[in-house]
Formats: sequence, C-alpha cells, structure tokens
Amino acid sequence: MSDAGHTLRLAELRRGDNALFGGKSSALGELIAAGIPVPPGFAVSTSAFRGFVEEAGLGGMIAAEMSRISLGDVDSVGAASHAISQAMRFAPVPDALRDEVARRYAELGETTGVAEPPVAVRSSALGEDSQDATFAGQQETYLWVRGADHVCDALRDCWVSLYSPPAISYRARLSDGEEPAMGVAVQLMVDAEVSGVLFTCNPVSGDPSMVAVNASWGLGLAVVGGEVTPDDYLVSKVTREVVRAHVHSKDVQYVPDAGGRGAVRADVPDARRAIACLDAGALDALVDVAGRIERYFGSHQDVEWAIARDGELPASLFIVQSRPVTAVQRPAGTPAAASAMALVMSAFGVGETKD
Amino acid sequence: MAAPSTVGSFPSPYEIETPPGCEGWEEMYPYYGRFDEERREADEQRFWFWNSMHFPVPMPAFDAICIDTAYQALGSWQNRVFAVPPAMGIDWRCINGYIYISGNPVLDPEKVAERAGHFQKRAGYYYENWDELYGKWRTKMDALIAELGELHVPQLGEYEPDEVAFGDQETSYVAVLDAYRNALRLADVMWQHHFEFLLLGYGAYMTFAELCKANLPDIPDQHIAQMVAGLDVLLFRPDAELRRLARLAIETGVDSAFVEGRSPEEIDTGLAESEAGRSWLAELETVKDPWFHMATGDGLYHTYGSWLDDPRIPYASLIGYVAALKAGENIERPTDHIAQERDRLATEYAALLDDGARQGFEQLLALSRTVFPYVEEHKFLCDYWFLTSWWNKIREFGDLLVAHGFFEDRDDIFQLSRLEVYSAIDELLLTWATGGQPRGPKYWPPIVARRKELLARLADWTPPPAVGAVPEAVLDPALIMLWGVTTQRVHAWAREQEGGSELTGTAASPGIVEGVARVVKTVGEIGDVRDGEILVCSITSPAWAPIFSKIQATVTDIGGVMSHAAIVCREYALPAVVGTGRATSAIKTGQRIRVDGTAGTVTILE
Repeated sequence: MSDAGHTLRLAELRRGDNALFGGKSSALGELIAAGIPVPPGFAVSTSAFRGFVEEAGLGGMIAAEMSRISLGDVDSVGAASHAISQAMRFAPVPDALRDEVARRYAELGETTGVAEPPVAVRSSALGEDSQDATFAGQQETYLWVRGADHVCDALRDCWVSLYSPPAISYRARLSDGEEPAMGVAVQLMVDAEVSGVLFTCNPVSGDPSMVAVNASWGLGLAVVGGEVTPDDYLVSKVTREVVRAHVHSKDVQYVPDAGGRGAVRADVPDARRAIACLDAGALDALVDVAGRIERYFGSHQDVEWAIARDGELPASLFIVQSRPVTAVQRPAGTPAAASAMALVMSAFGVGETKD
Repeated sequence: MAAPSTVGSFPSPYEIETPPGCEGWEEMYPYYGRFDEERREADEQRFWFWNSMHFPVPMPAFDAICIDTAYQALGSWQNRVFAVPPAMGIDWRCINGYIYISGNPVLDPEKVAERAGHFQKRAGYYYENWDELYGKWRTKMDALIAELGELHVPQLGEYEPDEVAFGDQETSYVAVLDAYRNALRLADVMWQHHFEFLLLGYGAYMTFAELCKANLPDIPDQHIAQMVAGLDVLLFRPDAELRRLARLAIETGVDSAFVEGRSPEEIDTGLAESEAGRSWLAELETVKDPWFHMATGDGLYHTYGSWLDDPRIPYASLIGYVAALKAGENIERPTDHIAQERDRLATEYAALLDDGARQGFEQLLALSRTVFPYVEEHKFLCDYWFLTSWWNKIREFGDLLVAHGFFEDRDDIFQLSRLEVYSAIDELLLTWATGGQPRGPKYWPPIVARRKELLARLADWTPPPAVGAVPEAVLDPALIMLWGVTTQRVHAWAREQEGGSELTGTAASPGIVEGVARVVKTVGEIGDVRDGEILVCSITSPAWAPIFSKIQATVTDIGGVMSHAAIVCREYALPAVVGTGRATSAIKTGQRIRVDGTAGTVTILE
C-alpha cells in the first residue's frame, strides 16, 4: 500500500490485489495493463470499509444485529438490514479517507480538464467477479456522480449494499463466518451513446469462434438491468462477419440528468427505437477488443463496454468491466476417441465402428 | 374429385389433379414411373420430394434416361457396391411430368450390420486410395468422352457402299442399330462413372461439416465450404479462359468489336475483317475445345446445351470483361486471396478447438480437400462436357429420322422415349431395307406434337415440394448429402405448405440485399435477367457465370452449401439462400424480395 493509504489508481492494480481491492477493480487494473481502453479511475480498498466501520464504532451494533437474524426468516433479515443500513448512512466517512478520495478525484479532474468530472462509483466486492460465484445484491453502481462529497456518499452507499437483505442471506448460506468487506471502483464516466455487454464466446451455444454482443442506447444500466430488449449480435471472430443481427425496439435509455448529477431513465425517441444501435465499424471495434481481452485473461470474458457520444471509433470505445464467464455452455463436440474415418463411417450409418 | 386429402402435411400423390388439357401425360413415361393403384398402400405412406434440383421442368420422354440410368448407377454404387448400411437406392415416380423421388431404407438391424461390414471394407479402400482411383477415373472419363466423339451415325443410301459388297464392312442397318445401342451404352457408362465417387465425396465433406458444427455451433456453412474448396478445379477454367481472351482482345487492339448488344455472329464478323481479329478468333478456337463444353444449365435436359451450342453466354461474358478491363477494373479471380483465406480460416478455427476435436478437424479437412476435386470436376466432365455432346449425338439420329420423314425437326426425337426411338429406328431400317412403306412418318408426328403441347401446359403447373407422408426423420445419407433434404428442411416444407411471405433455406453466401426478383425456370430465360435483379431459380450452374455479374443475389429451390449456386455466389460475393423448396413457385418476377444470405431467409416484401 502506498502512503496514500486506502486508494490506488486503477492502473496500479493487478490480479493479486483482488483480496484488498475486490475483483472489479483488480480486473480493471489488469485490463489497463493489457492496453485495453479503460476510463481512468481509482480504487478504494476494503481496508477503507473496515476503517469506516471502526471509526464510526459500528462493529458491535452490526454484530448484534447479525446475531439476531435466523436464516430463512425473511423478516429478521429485513429488520437487521434496515437497522445496519440506517446506522451506516448516518455515520461519517472518516476525514482522512474523505481527503484521500477528494485528492484522487481532483486528479481525475486534472486529466480531463473538467473541475468536477462525472464518475461511476461501483462496488468491487471480494469474491465478486470471480469465476465461481457472482454475489447477489452486491452489484451497486452509481452513475454520473459529481463532486468529491457525492463520491463519498456513493462510496458509503456501496458499503451499505453489503447489508442488503439478499447479500445478508447469501453470506448466511455460505456461513463461512468471515467479516464482509468491499472495495469500490471510481471511474470517469463515459457519456455513452451506446453501451452494452459482450461475451467472448456465444454463451448460449458455447461456440468459441463467436463474439456475442448486446447493445442499447445510452448508459449501460438499461442492458445490464434488463430494462430493454437489446439489439443482439453474433459476430465471427475469424472473419468479422455478422452472423446474426436481431434489432429490437429499445424504448428506454439512461442519460445524464439535466441537473448535472445522476443518471435518469428516459424514453428513447420513437425514430431511434427500432434502429440498429451498432454498425459494422462499431462491431468490428468490439470484436477486436473482445479478442484482446480474451487472449489476455486466457478465458472467456463477460465484458461491459460503452461507446462515447463524442469521438470516433475505435478511440471512443471503452471497457468498464470484465469478468470471467461463469456458465459457458459446452458445444456438443464429437467423441474424443473417434478417428476421422470412424466419423465418416458413422455419417453413412455404420453404427459400431471398428478402428 | 373431392378436395385433396392430406397425409401428414403433404398431399397424397394419388389425389393430385391433372391440369386441364394435360390428360394422358402418363403416356410419355414408362409404366413403372407412375403412382399406380397397385402400389397405393405402400407409396402413399412414403415420403416423396420433387427433385427440382435436377428436374425443374416437365420431363421430355427421351430425357427420362437421366432418371433411369442415373438411379441405376446411384443405386448400384450405394446399394450393391458400397452397401451403405441404412439406405439402398432411390425410387422415382412422375406426377404431371415432374419427378418425385424417395429413398429405400434398410430396416432390418441385422442387414444393416451386415452391410456395415461391406461398407467399411469397400468405402475404406476408396478413401485410402482416393488419389490413385480418382486418377484412373479421370482416364476413364477422358476415354469415354473420346469414344463419344468418335461415335458415327451412318447414313442410309440408295445402295450400300462398295465396302459392304467387296469388303467386310457391316450392312448399314446393323451399323445404325449398333450406333444407337452404343450411344445408349455410353450414357450408361457415363452415369456409372458419375456416381462412383459421389456419395463418398459428399460423405467426407458432410462429416467434416458436422464436426465443425458440433464444436463450433454457429460457424457459417460458407466458412466450412471455403476451407475445403479447391482453387484449381476444372470448373473455374472456362471463365478463366474468357478473362484471358478479354485481355488478349485489349492487348491486340480488337476490343472495339465487343459491344454490348452485338450478337456473337456480328462480333465474329467484325473481328474477321482484321488480321489481329482473325488471330484472336484462332485463339478462341483453341479455347473452345474443351472449355466451351461448359453447359448453359445443369445439364440433365436436352435443352441444356453448351457454350458451343449457345455462344451468347460466353460472349456476354467477354463483352463484360472487356468493358471492365477498359474501365480499369480488376477482373482476375483473387486466387491468392482465396488461398490465403482458406488456410487462415482453417488455422484459426483449428486453434479454437480443444486437442481432441482439433485432430479430427485436421484429418477430416485433409480428407475433404482430397475428395473435393472430384465433387467439383465430375460436374464439368459428366454433366456438362459429356452430356451436352451426347444430346447432340442423339440429334444426329434425329437428323436421320427427319431425312426419312419420321420427324419434322431433329429435336423431335426427344419427345420419344429412348425405347420408342429404338422402335422408330427399327422400323426405319426395316422399311429402308425392304423398300416397304414406313408407318412412322404418319404415326410419330402427331404424338410429337401432342407431347410438346403437354410439356408446355405442364410447365405452368406448380408441383408441391413433397407428397406422401411427412417422415419423422430423414436418415438416408444420400438424400441428406446429395439433395440437402434433412429432417429440418422437410419439416419446414410441411409447415410452409400453407404458404407465407418468408422462405427459409440454407445460408450459402453471406450478406443482405433487397431487390426485384427474376424467376428463371428454364435456361432460355437467362437472357431476360436485368442488372441488379435477384435471381430466383430451381438451381443454377456455374455455366451461368455471365449473369452473376449482373445480379445482386441468388435464391434457389434446392441445393446445399456445396451447390454450385452457393460456390459461385461466394466467388462473386453475392448473398445466396439455397434449398428454399419453393422459391420459384412462391416468388413472382417483379416482386421485391429481401435475401438474407447470412440467416438463410428470403422475405417477399410486396
């Protein structure tokens, strides 16, 4: 840990920092190391959360509330969640951390030349984004946050989400007794004209030669949150051909609030709803970056991306998250032992092939 | 007659009505080619599909040799030589002049197992020795084509030549009968050669395609074909020769003769006026044999001639190539690019597979590339070169019968079955020998006239894609490999019986375009195709090359990703959907349609 204390630039993080900064932040650090275009930002470590709990003296209260819940009793979980969340929301973010976040945030302002640049604040839970499990209810994202105070508020809101009823239930089921902790990633916002998710394989068929892309207008919330049926593309990695393109009517989008803070849900203008939101050039850029990410991590990845309103591709394409695909369908494949000739024979209906 | 009942979702073959004025069409075909009452119980329970891939228009009586002999040959190899375990051969029946076919399955498991033993030994031998056997095959085909060229149809003079009287030359009646029998024999042999490698070739390819799809479920069919396709197959030579001639025309300064709208004769006349033009024409002559034996259609009807018979097609190509060259365009087939792309695809796809699958992939790709030259080249040698020459040889017998008053036109011979022709020749020879009065000149012309009228009327009838029972599954390897008739396809036909504005087929060449449809049912209609139209046909042949530079997409009734329409469309980078089952009946010329060669769908927009 640097003398800065509880934060690091995203670019400074690597896979090994997972335990301290959470999966999302360390994966973003890896992406930056791989030369993938990731909006600059900084990560807040799990130690910051522990310091917050400690300084506010919430440890005892949390332990007491948690000891009262019984697994399977929804009401007891809800009551504990409510009590802990309220207490956390009223507790101040420690001054030292506040200063540190403000300094990091100012640094982001310098890189953009904007005094109070809009950022995304996202939880980066331990174990989250790992290949084995995706924590339910710990995927908080606050978009278009501006000003150091608001960043700190969003930071605390992420921590609060650790005690949401689903998160409590989830941990209770694991019952490993470990203290929960969470990192947070703060990243410059991409003013996305289009955003979405891509998989470096077809998650439905398991075809490793395809990149599957879901895309919709505006900021990424609409696709990730399942609020629209996104345009759906399947593109060959080998030839870049669009093998499948289903354009759907996309009626809502998230856009920056007119007041300058936060993102709001808005109707997509009628004329734009049924229009494909990606063209061949955009798909090409996405497939290109998908290949680089897959090669770097050596496994299939589930990637969130955004294409900025300003600028031109490929420079306007940003990756805001990458994590291993958790459930890949394996293609049917062929019997491993079958020789080529045995396969030909079976095409002619030779049932029991002899080698 | 009552409204046709249905068996499953296809009409019963026994309840299809004869179009008005077409009564008696059955007389054109042999007794065994009908849906007769004696076999009703069995035939109604079988799945029959219209072989529009090979027989898109009503069958002239003589041309039925391409059904009988072809299925004798296919059945012999599949059933009696290789003993493909689950399937024997193909049966055919005729409805209103259109040919429906059905496979004969082997149902007894013990029999299937017994056949599997034979198949493994015999097919294995072919695969192991493919190149050597294919080399021998090429020699056999060359010899067969040479023999056809040498077949002489004797004339009948007032007196026999001196060689009969003073030498040991045969009498003319024996010579004519020999020649006719020989002509039929050569066709039998050609079909025998045609099918020798066909199933095994397609089978190897199909197995490779299935392995690709099992491991790469979304791989486009055209990528599989691209990885296999050969670069130097005979089929591409004729077009390459035309490009060479176009370059030569420009180099020698005779290109001004190639003006859009001029007939081949006009162009030749213009060229003959200059020394340079005459030497270009001399070069053309050297190209004609063999490369102008390219057929103008898929070759199974006598109406499908070669470029020699109808030079408008190669000349249209020449005019186009000369114009393109003068406009500074590159007309060369990008062989380097195709070769690089073929290897790049193979390498990249192999890299995506796990070790076990990769080995099978590489072995099957190598096998598919080994068999590919046959798959492509048998077309040129058998269907185009041999068959177009053979129809012309039959026309010489037509000339003989015209000379003796049996017919008005040499092509009238094709209105008689091959056995009826035998009978007419028999009578001609009998009466020529005896000096008696032949009945043929009175007997045959009305029959010829009636059959011509029948064929013309039947051409307006639209056959259903299939009749009889809807099979639960298509298991016959030949139907799947040669016709692309899969379970999925058949069930789609059954669903589409009701019609609808969307047709589904095989995505054969990628891309999406909208445009005006041009339905081409016979080769004679090729000339009607206009720039920018979408070609809708039963099946195309690469011999139609010139129209591929005009059209913007192709839709066919039948065919798979290895069909020639598919191969040529990929060459020309045109979207193609093949195997729709009903495009030529569902789409009308002039309609706007959208062809999605990536998804394999065709939508009628208006």
